[in-house]
Amino acid sequence: MDNLINNILTVAGLRKNYKGKTAVDGVSFSFSPGEFVGLLGPNGAGKTTTIKMLTGLIKPSSGMIYYYGIDFYEKSQKTKALIGVVPQQNNLDRDLTAYENLYLHAIAYGIPKALRREKIDELLDFSGLTGYRNRPVKQFSGGTMRRLVILRALLHDPKILFLDEPTVGLDPQIRRVIWDFIVKINKMKNTTILLTTHYIEEAERLCKRVLIINNGLIIVDGDPEQLKDGMGRFVLEVYKDDKVDEEFFDSRQEALAALENSTFTAKVRGVTLEDVFLRLTGRRINV
Amino acid sequence: MFNGMCAVLYRELTIYRKRALKQILSSSLSPLLFLIAFGWGFGSGVTVGGLSYISFLIPGLITMNSLNQSFAISAEINISRFYFHTFDEYLIAPVSLVGIAVGEASFGVFRGLLATMIIFIYAFLFNVPLSFNPLFILAILLHTFIFSFLAVTTSMIVKDHSGQALVNNFVITPMIFLCGTFYPIDKLPHAFKLLVYAFPLTYSTKVIRAALTGGQVSFIYVGLMVFYCIIFFLTSLWALRSVEA
Repeated sequence: MDNLINNILTVAGLRKNYKGKTAVDGVSFSFSPGEFVGLLGPNGAGKTTTIKMLTGLIKPSSGMIYYYGIDFYEKSQKTKALIGVVPQQNNLDRDLTAYENLYLHAIAYGIPKALRREKIDELLDFSGLTGYRNRPVKQFSGGTMRRLVILRALLHDPKILFLDEPTVGLDPQIRRVIWDFIVKINKMKNTTILLTTHYIEEAERLCKRVLIINNGLIIVDGDPEQLKDGMGRFVLEVYKDDKVDEEFFDSRQEALAALENSTFTAKVRGVTLEDVFLRLTGRRINV
Repeated sequence: MFNGMCAVLYRELTIYRKRALKQILSSSLSPLLFLIAFGWGFGSGVTVGGLSYISFLIPGLITMNSLNQSFAISAEINISRFYFHTFDEYLIAPVSLVGIAVGEASFGVFRGLLATMIIFIYAFLFNVPLSFNPLFILAILLHTFIFSFLAVTTSMIVKDHSGQALVNNFVITPMIFLCGTFYPIDKLPHAFKLLVYAFPLTYSTKVIRAALTGGQVSFIYVGLMVFYCIIFFLTSLWALRSVEA
């Protein structure tokens, strides 16, 4: 019970069926305050469905969700105030300015009128978007919209921030800007973060803990570094005809020695979470 | 409740302010055409129940135009649900469903009242006397709330834009043409009359017309308007509760 109250989020046996098909098949996990967690899995694994259930956009078929021990569906208004959501699509009002979009959010989340302007300007400054304050959102680039959506989710000081594929469709340079921004939020505001992604690099770089989801089931829950250690740190990829054989080694020296002895075309690289996924499921995350 | 209602109204009115001229112009044209075609062209010299046809027509145009504008929020909510996903913001926020329903419906009422004012201006220009009284105000508020709550319900039930078009074509348009907006319904065959008395527009047209032209107002019809208003308020809450993004 103590854990339930201390954990910002506790999920037990969460399941969602759509017309006889199971999208999420009874997942359970819990987060401590301040954690940075990635929900990693291929497209269609159940990531978005999980986030939608955790944020009240769809109703679970069964299972429980608690925020600080409070039942999400019993006291949804109270618990929703603890949550910030960055959906996969940039769902800003394109006809409104950045300021108006944030102001709308401030009203909905009950931020007192006297504080709204100050909080909005403070956050615009925090994210470096002050110059966009009074411009209609439809003029923004994809990356700027993305930052504004994240900013909006922070306006009411949520204790936990859900980001659904936050960098999908963005070019690599902008992706890094978004990453830095999310890390800054986690560090400076101590906001718990759950980020879904199908990008291996994103999960490895950002998350201190990764839940790997496949076919609606969480198949691994752990520190990405430890998960990779469990595989061996280096891989020797041997190209034989049309297929690639992989051998795992604990040190670079061992891997390089094997490379020396190989008669086929081969290369040595570091282990990634993709290898962890491949070993567990027999398929790749990004096909 | 108030946070949700205020947020919805802030959004809708801020956007409306930016589009006001276009929206007002587009809601001005079709009633003007009706007025010219039926009022001048077809109806001059015709009397209906002791009223000149144009005096009979103007209250009908008020109910038609305000219904169209109030119900139009349905298509707009749909665009924000299916296309821009902005509606999800309300569903995620710690606001009550009553607040969302009342906020959206109040905006529908606002649009319906603006559409009513346009017809009042036409009535003045066409020199049609109208009696503006508290009963009319009550009736137009009930009328616009009925169709705004119906709009919220519809927008939550339909699965896509074509579903919305289906409702417009099979419910709203027949209602406008059958419920006594352009002619007295006692001229309709009996079977049609049964259908027509199931539609709320029949009662609001009768009450609004009577209030504006100094006729006898049936309080049973006012009661039925209150009944429809409550029913569609409840259906809008039910529909909002069952909606998933």
